[in-house]
Amino acid sequence: MRRLRAWGNDLIGFLFLPETDKWLTVLRVGLGLQVTVYALFLKSDWQYLFAGTGKGLVSRELGEAIISFDSPFIPKLGWLVALGGHVNIGEETVLSVAWACLLVAGCCLLLGLFCRPAAIIAWFLHLCAAQSGGLLAYGADNFMTMGLFYLMLSPLPDRYSLDHWLGKTKPKNPQLLGFWRRVLQLHLCLVYFFGGLGKSLGSGWWDGSNLWRALIRPPFDIISPDILIRFKYLLPILGISICLIELGYVFCIWMKKTRFIWLVCIVAMHIAIGLTMGMYLFALIMIVLNLAAFGPDFGSLFLAYRERFRPVLPERLSP
Amino acid sequence: MGAKRIYAVCAGVHFFLLTAVSLRGIFALVAEDATILPSALDKYARGGEVVLASVLGKDLAASNPARRGIVAYLDAVGSQSGYTFFAPNVPGYYKLILELYYHDGRVEYDLPHVTGGAAALRLDGLLDRLADPGYEPLREVVVKMLAFSIWREHPDVKKIRAIFGSVTPPSISDFEQGKRESFQPLFSYDFSLRNEENQSTSQ
Repeated sequence: MRRLRAWGNDLIGFLFLPETDKWLTVLRVGLGLQVTVYALFLKSDWQYLFAGTGKGLVSRELGEAIISFDSPFIPKLGWLVALGGHVNIGEETVLSVAWACLLVAGCCLLLGLFCRPAAIIAWFLHLCAAQSGGLLAYGADNFMTMGLFYLMLSPLPDRYSLDHWLGKTKPKNPQLLGFWRRVLQLHLCLVYFFGGLGKSLGSGWWDGSNLWRALIRPPFDIISPDILIRFKYLLPILGISICLIELGYVFCIWMKKTRFIWLVCIVAMHIAIGLTMGMYLFALIMIVLNLAAFGPDFGSLFLAYRERFRPVLPERLSP
Repeated sequence: MGAKRIYAVCAGVHFFLLTAVSLRGIFALVAEDATILPSALDKYARGGEVVLASVLGKDLAASNPARRGIVAYLDAVGSQSGYTFFAPNVPGYYKLILELYYHDGRVEYDLPHVTGGAAALRLDGLLDRLADPGYEPLREVVVKMLAFSIWREHPDVKKIRAIFGSVTPPSISDFEQGKRESFQPLFSYDFSLRNEENQSTSQ
């Protein structure tokens, strides 16, 4: 019983390790950028993707009917359209207002203005869009929802937000800040572990053929196959590296000696995915989540750098 | 300490659900015999998948509040489908070719399209979903909607034939020998758009 209690206390200590709010700043600014870019990227297709039957690409109502069968509690754009209908606002206007609100929420998060309401609105509107367009959703939507979910529950505002400067809010509980960072860290470990496990069970990741297939299929075929073929001996190495980086993440990201190198590898992997496959939104959200969860304390890094080079820095730059 | 315990319990439930969803995704891959694991493990994986499905409330009635609550929660945290993207292997992809028949006998070809690159990724994902047997009941309706989106741009079209098929990309060695992707039609649907009854045929 005593041992059980000791384990419980260890777990509480692990979950509530005190943290500063710098990681929360990275998450807020990163997600603000992500939401803003998401809204801008979809601006020209927004109405076309989410319009009702007979007006868009695929009927929004069809996607909503499917999710309503799963659960009527899942937020959807249809709720907003119905609400607009009660006050004689048309579907097109409601969709435009929803898009504008999402963009404004993204900008507010970027600046740190009205952080909590902006995070809640961004999470809600993005979730509505992702669910209503469920047939058209992909991985980046899941990770955006996840990031915004944690952001809206975290102890906002952080000290680098406009909210803090304007309202002089009290410093947040470091243990609570530590808890939410820990939850984000554990979630990412789960993501990479199962992602890596799934990939390593496929033969194509060990011989490079999966990378080849991923890079030549539209709409990811940014690099010409003729160029790819020149690097064909590199493909198995890259395929195996992806499996190892993802599977190893869950262990190596926690160890001091390997944390930085693993973070660099995972960020490099996502940059490569973004640039070679055109999955910019997916790359950005994964980089943001990783930097918030395991990113170094950039302030301390800068101080350590200054300390190291103090003798060669001009006098006025030294502390 | 009390508040911390509550947070810890909530985190425990949260990660239990996430692990169940993720593990179910892995079991599903093994059960489909899509992995390098011996096929003798398929039945165990199928058993594991069934157990995890019941843990996630999938064997409860569709109207059961617990089932609906779990689904809504997992959607709210963006974790409804696990994380096995491009796993275990990268599949081929799918194409929907639309043959547009005009009154004057002309025939043109078009593909469903969107304006931006970000939306194009989504359209591609939709076509992949249509090939999934789970989406079979919806396939014709969605194809009809996609055909209708093209018809709005060509209102003088008499009939649209939608051909849905899989594209098999060449392997590296096939590509080096000059082979290119091959298209295998899976289904075709004929839609008459001038107040005539829609006809559909599957092949």
